[in-house]
Amino acid sequence: MMIPTGEATIGPFFPPRYVDQGANDLTMFDGRKAKGEAIWIRGRVVQEDGAALENLIVEIWQPDADGIFRHPADPRHARADPDFLGWGRAATDDKGGYVFRTIMPGAPEGRAPHINFMLMFSGLMRILKTTLYFEHGMDVVLLAVPASRRELLMAKKQGPGSYRFDIRLRGENETPFFGD
Amino acid sequence: MLSIPMPTIIQPRDERTQPARIVAGYPQTPLRNPRQPLVKRSPTLSELSGPLEAARRVKLLGGDIAGHGDKQAIGQLIHLKVRVLDEDGAPVGGTLVEMWQANAAGRYLHPNDDDHAPPDPNFYGAARLVTDESGRCELRTVKPGAYPVPTRDGWWRPPHVHFSLFGKVWLSRLVTQMYFPGEPLNGQDRILNAVPDTAARESLVARYLPPTGDPHDALVFEHQIVLRGRAATPVQP
Ligand SMILES: [Fe+3]
Repeated sequence: MMIPTGEATIGPFFPPRYVDQGANDLTMFDGRKAKGEAIWIRGRVVQEDGAALENLIVEIWQPDADGIFRHPADPRHARADPDFLGWGRAATDDKGGYVFRTIMPGAPEGRAPHINFMLMFSGLMRILKTTLYFEHGMDVVLLAVPASRRELLMAKKQGPGSYRFDIRLRGENETPFFGD
Repeated sequence: MLSIPMPTIIQPRDERTQPARIVAGYPQTPLRNPRQPLVKRSPTLSELSGPLEAARRVKLLGGDIAGHGDKQAIGQLIHLKVRVLDEDGAPVGGTLVEMWQANAAGRYLHPNDDDHAPPDPNFYGAARLVTDESGRCELRTVKPGAYPVPTRDGWWRPPHVHFSLFGKVWLSRLVTQMYFPGEPLNGQDRILNAVPDTAARESLVARYLPPTGDPHDALVFEHQIVLRGRAATPVQP
């Protein structure tokens, strides 16, 4: 058994060109449109003192509109939407804001609809992992979170096809993060 | 041909092989890292799958970033042989590797870097490529310079190269840094030394290979990166 390499902060100098134009739009892949309901997810990332964090890298991973992951571990993956990659990357702006355009995920086997988030930033020695939900439900990952904190993982509907998911790294109403 | 996908097993890491989240003398860390205990979960398909084709979403840049002829970057030319493995020691082929570093003077070409050192017009400092089937990728670059951290208390980052890798599943995603052997600043770097386990810390330092004449113009270093995950043992029916 080999020891997994130690993590380190992404630092303040992640190349801007690594946040490719369009990398935050999961509804299009190779010039083709994914099937399902296109939605916006917007949010703001702040640290303990409330300061907005600029240039923080946010990545998401999710299944397609039918809840199928584009990955051979999913027994249904042969039926995954060929026009949906399921991965995207965004960087926060000077107000700490990020935005993704994506497809409303279907429910994977045994889970509620959700989107996996990763945050990478200067001062984060480890990647921070959390999960966005659209509503409370029976979901093993959500149920692992203390009941009093589950609401913090719910995206807030802002209007048709528009959701808000704010992330607080530390302090009051701190977003739950997973220790894996 | 029918291929039966081999599920990936992810087990908790020995925390001593990973850096502390809050680091003395690194003033941003106490403001940005969770105060609440991290939530323990058993990974599901969602975390045990992940983007295998991220390279199709981004623009690859290749691994030769030192420039040639009149356009060669200033600095010690190095040839870096990177190998990406999983916890079984099996190669992780076809995975996206993103690398970035300072120039030989210790300056990044990034709006966040101040003007403590000169930019090099022939050095952007970022390579983005995909590992081959044996989990290897090769970089031709220059050795990065050390640079002062604006804490103004004498913390200098030793020469290092940043890496971002994907692997086979969401939980194998890795952001790390590689160091150079024998650097006097390694011993006091707050980021490198945030990893408590000695062997794990030493594995972040590249290995210097003696010159052999191939390539004749660059020093050669090799570095191994181990991503999380093991293949599940196949169950005989
Ligand atoms: Fe750096």
